[in-house]
Amino acid sequence: MSAAPRDASNAERALDALAAGECGVISDIDGDPSIARRLMELGLVPGTDIEMIRRAPLGDPLEVRVRGVHLSLRRTEARHIHVAAR
Amino acid sequence: MSPHAEPAPRRIAILGNPNAGKSTLFNALTGLRQKVGNYPGVTVEKKTGFCDLPSGRRAEIVDLPGSYSLQPASPDEMIVRDVLLGLQADTPPPDLIVFVVDATNLDRHLYLALQVIELGRPLLLVLNMMDMAGARGLRIDERALERQLGVPVLGISAAKGEGLPALRELMDRDVEPSARHFRQWPPHLQRVLDRLEQRVPRHATLPARARHDLALAMLLDHGEDDALARHVPPEALADARTIAQSLDQRSPDWRSEDVTGRYEEISTLLAEAVIAAGERGDRRRDRIDRVLTHRVAGPVVFVVLMGAVFQSVFAWAQPAMDLIDLLVNRLGTVVGHAMPAGALRSLLVDGIIAGVGTTLTFVPQIAILFLFLCVLEDSGYMARAAFIMDRIMSRVGLSGRSFIPLLSSFACAIPGIMATRSIDNRRDRLATIMIAPFMSCSARLPVYALLIGAFVPNRWVGFVTLPGITLFAMYFLGIAAAISVAWVLKRTALKGGRPLYVMELPPYRMPSWRSVLITVRERSLLFLQKAGTVILAVSVVLWFLASYPKGGAAVHALESQKAAAVMAGDSAQAGVLDHRIAGAALEHSFAGQVGRFIEPSIAPLGFDWRFGIGLITSLAAREVMVSTMATVFNLGNVDSHVRPLRQSLREATDARTGQRAYTPLAGISLMVFYVLACQCMSTLAVVRRETNSWRWPIFMLVMMNAMAWVASFAVFQGGKLLGFGA
Repeated sequence: MSAAPRDASNAERALDALAAGECGVISDIDGDPSIARRLMELGLVPGTDIEMIRRAPLGDPLEVRVRGVHLSLRRTEARHIHVAAR
Repeated sequence: MSPHAEPAPRRIAILGNPNAGKSTLFNALTGLRQKVGNYPGVTVEKKTGFCDLPSGRRAEIVDLPGSYSLQPASPDEMIVRDVLLGLQADTPPPDLIVFVVDATNLDRHLYLALQVIELGRPLLLVLNMMDMAGARGLRIDERALERQLGVPVLGISAAKGEGLPALRELMDRDVEPSARHFRQWPPHLQRVLDRLEQRVPRHATLPARARHDLALAMLLDHGEDDALARHVPPEALADARTIAQSLDQRSPDWRSEDVTGRYEEISTLLAEAVIAAGERGDRRRDRIDRVLTHRVAGPVVFVVLMGAVFQSVFAWAQPAMDLIDLLVNRLGTVVGHAMPAGALRSLLVDGIIAGVGTTLTFVPQIAILFLFLCVLEDSGYMARAAFIMDRIMSRVGLSGRSFIPLLSSFACAIPGIMATRSIDNRRDRLATIMIAPFMSCSARLPVYALLIGAFVPNRWVGFVTLPGITLFAMYFLGIAAAISVAWVLKRTALKGGRPLYVMELPPYRMPSWRSVLITVRERSLLFLQKAGTVILAVSVVLWFLASYPKGGAAVHALESQKAAAVMAGDSAQAGVLDHRIAGAALEHSFAGQVGRFIEPSIAPLGFDWRFGIGLITSLAAREVMVSTMATVFNLGNVDSHVRPLRQSLREATDARTGQRAYTPLAGISLMVFYVLACQCMSTLAVVRRETNSWRWPIFMLVMMNAMAWVASFAVFQGGKLLGFGA
């Protein structure tokens, strides 16, 4: 997963940079490994489609849709989720 | 076995992800035959119920907390893992697991299902919400799923009651456990796990396959897994930590390799079992959310909705509370007339019946509040409220989930503390419980009203009045104290690793009235059992303290004056003397003595022994202070004497100096004390129950009362220094 050369794919962005309504494919989750594991257990495994639905009224947290489930994530976590263009 | 002995009930556990519809199914199967308790030593709720199976056999059903994984990330998930693995002493592993999944989100829900199926325990897979799946054109081949998973599969709709007879039928049967294995470990990890598995002690109830899960738990553990600490020798845990570190150096991805593998397995599985994928989005939900979580409309709706809830709690509860008050007073009068005067009548009327009355008057508020909270939760709105409030609450280290329990605490801290069960993070939940009593509850309002009326002049300051500002300041002080305490707690006693705040925003659903009513009933009964018994006990003790010892020179003198007045036919004078007798008797009683005893400790706050008595009787419920003061000031113990009571407070004199006993500053100081002090014994009883320990309620008592004393001291002494003491 982290073996993917990040600098080479300029299309890859952090999840919190997506605009509402934008979709992508999860390429990698870095940061705290137990948090990464937990997010994957919730279905955010690399290769999964993810859609940014909206931001909360005060800008944080974010609402995303993964595998038909809507999740609320804080930006601090979303920053570690890398998304490639579909 | 004797012919009358009932066979042991079949033990069935309902399990699944949050939002799979577990509780709806549990309620549909058990109805009112439920009991709610705690798992020993933890704050996790244990729900058990009974139902009859078609063969006539009884089933004892445990509703396990919703979980996402067998590798636990919360106390709830730890309990689920421990029960399934047979490590939970009070809850033996079930005879049958009813695993509930949301048919419209099969892939995500099957993640935990596969983990549990691999344990090799008898399991039924229930596909819930099949009605919704059908409406969206999703078609699942249940037989194909059965073949692949090796367990019986049944589609139902718990909310509509569809498929429940078939489910009961299946629950009655013996189910062969699945022999399937879905996971593939990378070889180097497999070797490590095999080695660690040898270090897990053999345990009678631990299935052979579960040893593998424990081995993985050992590798992933950060020292927070209590069951591991109990069951695995410390050297083995230390070794596992060393191995984890060396694996980390090779590549940190090992921690999630099994997760990725399992999801791959699930997509292969579903490729065969799902005949038609159907529409995945939910247009209705999107439409509603566009308003309810809108940047502007979202917060507006939230504020209006919360306002409406609280207005209704007060508006609807008041008539019921008045009615209860009336009935209890009637009962007191009837009993009072039926019995000869004496200690027993006094105990019954002034102690027990009054205590029961105090307890019962809380019930309407609690029931109505939980009615709303439950509807908000079950409809899916609660998660949106948390979504909107998360940013604000994160400033003090909490999450959006803490907001509603704190808001509820403005009605009464008890339902607020009970509502913290929806907070899944243990530290956040404890912090929320600890700050909930700082929210000015409705029982403080009569005290504020009395003291503001007595000591704060009714003057206009710009657009507002001085009493209005004072009342607002008291509420604000409580909130400020709560924020500070939460901030400190989250950096000291409740400090922990950075938690992951991820929350599901479930689809909107029509709440089931049955489920709502079951919850309301259960919460009200819980209050009566836990808080009610405490209020009753405190009332009886306070009755004793306020009634004994009898007599005293002052009382005797007043009684002979009264006798003279009665002889002279002066009934007005006799009535006044009655009130003075009551006041003198209270002064002579243990309560009066205690008030005098604690006077030196509260004198620096501007309080004398009379306020001391008020502080003591507030232990039953804070608003009792008002009627106590009425008795102390010889007005009789009737609540309708607020106006003369205000005057008495203003004009009260100190017997020793002959000067005014209370300055306005003392009134403010007393209000500040009521904002911050922990006086409510029933709150402590509920904290004891919800935290399952004595540590937290004792800490709460000491912390809050220390803060109250210091703050009142600062207000009174500081105010005097600044020249406000006159």
